[in-house]
Amino acid sequence: MVHNLFKGDTPVSYERGALVSNPWFPQSRTPPGLYRLARWFRRISLVILVVVILFLASAAYSAVEVVRSGPTAGNFSASFDSNDTVAVTGDLNFSNHGFYPISAFSVHVRVLNQSSVYLGQGSFGPVTLASGALQPITIAFYLPIETSGPGASLLTENQVLNVSVWGNATYAYLIPVSIAVETNKSWGAPFADLQVSVGAPVPVSGGYAVPVTIQWQNHASFDEAGTLDFSVVSANGPSCGGSSFPVSVPPGGSFDQTKDVSIVSGCSPAGGTVAAEYLSGGLTIPLPPEPIP
Amino acid sequence: MSAEVPPRPIGYRIPSLSYRILAGGLRLLPLIVILVGIPVALLTFLSTHGLHVPISILTVTVAGLAISVLSTARYILKPTRAYGPLSMAVSVVTILYLLTFFLAATLVFGLPQHGISVGIGVEGVIGLLLLVPGLGLAAGIVTTIEDVRSPRERLPFDYPP
Repeated sequence: MVHNLFKGDTPVSYERGALVSNPWFPQSRTPPGLYRLARWFRRISLVILVVVILFLASAAYSAVEVVRSGPTAGNFSASFDSNDTVAVTGDLNFSNHGFYPISAFSVHVRVLNQSSVYLGQGSFGPVTLASGALQPITIAFYLPIETSGPGASLLTENQVLNVSVWGNATYAYLIPVSIAVETNKSWGAPFADLQVSVGAPVPVSGGYAVPVTIQWQNHASFDEAGTLDFSVVSANGPSCGGSSFPVSVPPGGSFDQTKDVSIVSGCSPAGGTVAAEYLSGGLTIPLPPEPIP
Repeated sequence: MSAEVPPRPIGYRIPSLSYRILAGGLRLLPLIVILVGIPVALLTFLSTHGLHVPISILTVTVAGLAISVLSTARYILKPTRAYGPLSMAVSVVTILYLLTFFLAATLVFGLPQHGISVGIGVEGVIGLLLLVPGLGLAAGIVTTIEDVRSPRERLPFDYPP
């Protein structure tokens, strides 16, 4: 059989199994330089391919171990905090059971109210979790509850909050990973269904008084213990009188109390409002003013 | 004083064309399984479970077939001058294929019904993988130059007797 493998070459015999010699061929078994160079390129690329495949396989197995161990949720709590806020604090325990470190690990939380108005956010990190490390994560974020702000309704209305949690990290030195979870969480208002009613004036010695009834339900996850100061404010501004209630309402409990408030002579509460403040642990939480019919 | 013995000339033994076609065809099957079958099955599995991967099945199929066929042609034509250019062609197609992943940068897996999305950055891994066809391209260029400068020079080493 004759093959003309290279155009322009003299046909040579390539019978299978036949030993062929030719003066053009190298006279030794040392491959020529270009051949060796090409061979080294191929060998190095093969080594890189094998290393990358082994790396990816081990990273995938390791990632499965991390996911299987998963983060465990600790306590989530809410409480009134300074600057007219509710502090929500959550604990997670994250363990890295994989072979590779998780670097630049950070977690962020953002909360919108049911009208998609931004309420607040919190974050954790960045930290590096070495292989085998157990990392407690505490995330605290503060929801504004000042009466003029977007979070005022958190005090008195149960609602569904849109909570977005996202985390970023670099896994196994090379692989950036991001995870985003969007979920809805129900919010229990600490002064849910707050209602204030003012009764008809009754004469008392030196003037007259009005019975003021305040009621609400504590749908929050924390105790309410403190004092509720309130004042009856007339329609044109000045306070007609005020008083206070001691408050001790556990989660799920309700408050419903009435007290007679002496009214300043000449001050009419009709058409005005009842302004109340909840005082606890050195904090003052103003409640939304309730109109007097 | 003994006379120096000249080195024994070496030859080569090239398998016949029909043998190479048969072997190439057998070699093509696992290539298609690895480069087309498994990736398409993986993409299908992910999509049936609601996970969206920004690489289409068509892209994976076309690129996998192209690499498999070119690689087989390179194997069959290894004793010829076409080997170098075909090596370059395989490498270039592989580089272009990997670049589609590289340009996607982040593969996002979404589970909309659970409000969960996971993004995985692939640029680092793809960057490493690009070295493989890059070096293959360099090898193809060197082989092409070698075949032009010294035809059949490599045959005794590619097909030793």
